[in-house]
Amino acid sequence: MTAPAALELQNVVRRFGAVVAVNNVSLTVGKGEFVTLLGPSGSGKTSTLRLVGGFEELDGGAILLDGQRIDHLPAYRRDTATIFQSGALFPHKTVAENVAYGLRMRKVPKDEIGRRIAEALDVVRLKGFEARYPAQLSGGQKQRVALARSLAVRPAILLFDEPLSALDLSLRLQLRAEIKRLHDELKFSAIYVTHDQGEAMAMSSRVAVMNAGAIEQIDTPETVFHAPSSEFVYTFIGESCCLPLRIDGPDLRDRAGNPVPLALGERPADGECRLYVRPSRLRLAGEAASLPNRLEARIHFIEFLGDVYRYHLKAGALELAADHAGSIGHGVGDVIAIGWRNEDMRLFR
Amino acid sequence: MSERAPRSAEPLLLKALALAFTIFIIGYILVPILVTVVMSFNGAAMIRFPITAWSTRWYADFLGSPQWMDALKNSILIAFGTAAISTTAGVLCAWAFQRFHIPFRDGWYILIMMPLFMPGVVLGLGVAIAFGGISFGGYALYGSRELVMISHSLWAMPLVFMLMEATFKTLDYRVVEASHDLGGGPLRTFFEVVLPMVSTGIVSSLLFAFVISLNEFVMALFLTDRDTQTLPVLMWLSLRSAGTPRLAVASVILALTVFACLTIIMLWYVRQLRKVAR
Repeated sequence: MTAPAALELQNVVRRFGAVVAVNNVSLTVGKGEFVTLLGPSGSGKTSTLRLVGGFEELDGGAILLDGQRIDHLPAYRRDTATIFQSGALFPHKTVAENVAYGLRMRKVPKDEIGRRIAEALDVVRLKGFEARYPAQLSGGQKQRVALARSLAVRPAILLFDEPLSALDLSLRLQLRAEIKRLHDELKFSAIYVTHDQGEAMAMSSRVAVMNAGAIEQIDTPETVFHAPSSEFVYTFIGESCCLPLRIDGPDLRDRAGNPVPLALGERPADGECRLYVRPSRLRLAGEAASLPNRLEARIHFIEFLGDVYRYHLKAGALELAADHAGSIGHGVGDVIAIGWRNEDMRLFR
Repeated sequence: MSERAPRSAEPLLLKALALAFTIFIIGYILVPILVTVVMSFNGAAMIRFPITAWSTRWYADFLGSPQWMDALKNSILIAFGTAAISTTAGVLCAWAFQRFHIPFRDGWYILIMMPLFMPGVVLGLGVAIAFGGISFGGYALYGSRELVMISHSLWAMPLVFMLMEATFKTLDYRVVEASHDLGGGPLRTFFEVVLPMVSTGIVSSLLFAFVISLNEFVMALFLTDRDTQTLPVLMWLSLRSAGTPRLAVASVILALTVFACLTIIMLWYVRQLRKVAR
């Protein structure tokens, strides 16, 4: 028999009145695996996490931690540790007392507690902050303490509840890299909830994309990005332009009825459909010349985004956005060629 | 640079009126207290203006009188008891309201708040009739300090409940969840995390209850006997027999006790602010 998974959710259901927040979710997190629940607000990702932590009651299904059922246990008897969005540090306890709290509750011997505090604060690079109160820490430092507090108890699984979403961008990127480094070093098992697809991509062993209380797709970040299983996953996981089309035999038109001269590779079935392309994969002007899918489009306006210029284009009723590093030498109102490869587009209906 | 507009007479008049009103209000509040303080240093045998001789003899008289010192002791003991009973009950009650689903919630709410709106005469008489003849193992409940503490708690507890209900609403429940998450059971969490977080509310509750009990007169009049009578009761009784400046001394001492309480609240509050909101 193989060793049990760190965490297993079996057909988990959670309802709030008539609303089904978590709809029949099954998920397995292996030992040392870092699984991200990614989805928009209201997709059930936080509810799923809170069910594991014991802050919500299950309406159906089962939750197993290390092969043992835990869904009947209160939060304080579960070997899980949550890093909350707000940090949720104890405001009247010092940093050291915050980290010690979980250890005291687990009746760890006193000298061992001292060692574990030093170790945990060392790991999150907060040595020397033992005697500070949370009010004396910055937002990033608070989240590090929260992380140290959860790491110190060495739980069977760490639960991250959007821990970085309250921080500003540079701090977010810095802490994101730090959590990644810690995971590589310590090999803890974790579920990480976020609505930021960049975070999900950067840190995860696997990403579960959630929508309307269910998991739409769960796979490695590469697969989810390159081979999304549904229109929802495709549009949520990265930026995209949507081209609504009508196919009628060999005839391809936009919603306004203008003919659209696209090759589309294999001819899809007749009817309404939506063609998606990513702005980063579109080629402009001369670079588009040899590509199978090509349109003539007028430059509507141009955004400077730092690394790239984003060209907003119109071709009949179709609107596209294309990123290009550096200027292409055309201005607003010019008509230019825009093209992409067959493998860079997805068709959904 | 903007030119300053010429002043019209109207705002000046308004300002003068505002100043006059402010002075009137300050006087209105301070005069009764000041008159009492001044009168307590009257050397004469009666409370009467003008004061012909200044003296502290009535202070010495008060401190040397077993009857008055007993009354002061009764007042303070009953106030401590009331603070303890009503704060414990009010805090637990508010926590239960905040944390749990309670059937007939609104009904319970009205029931808890009702005594606060009852006249002291009604409560005092009701308690006196209900407990008039009851004794436990030879200890008569009626006339005891404990009965007065419980009766004063009828007023103090709804106040504590109201104060703590508002305080618990400002609590960050993620912190409570974090405690459970780290293995802290409900009791450990309540004492180690929740109570310290609402300590300012609890100290305010204790002192509110203490002051309410110290100042209460009507219920104490109905429920005490010669051995347990409180300072306000004794003052009222002695006013009917002889209005000596000893009464003013008692008033000053009562007021000083209240001031001391308020000072403690302020000091605690400042200390908490320093610690948490730095």
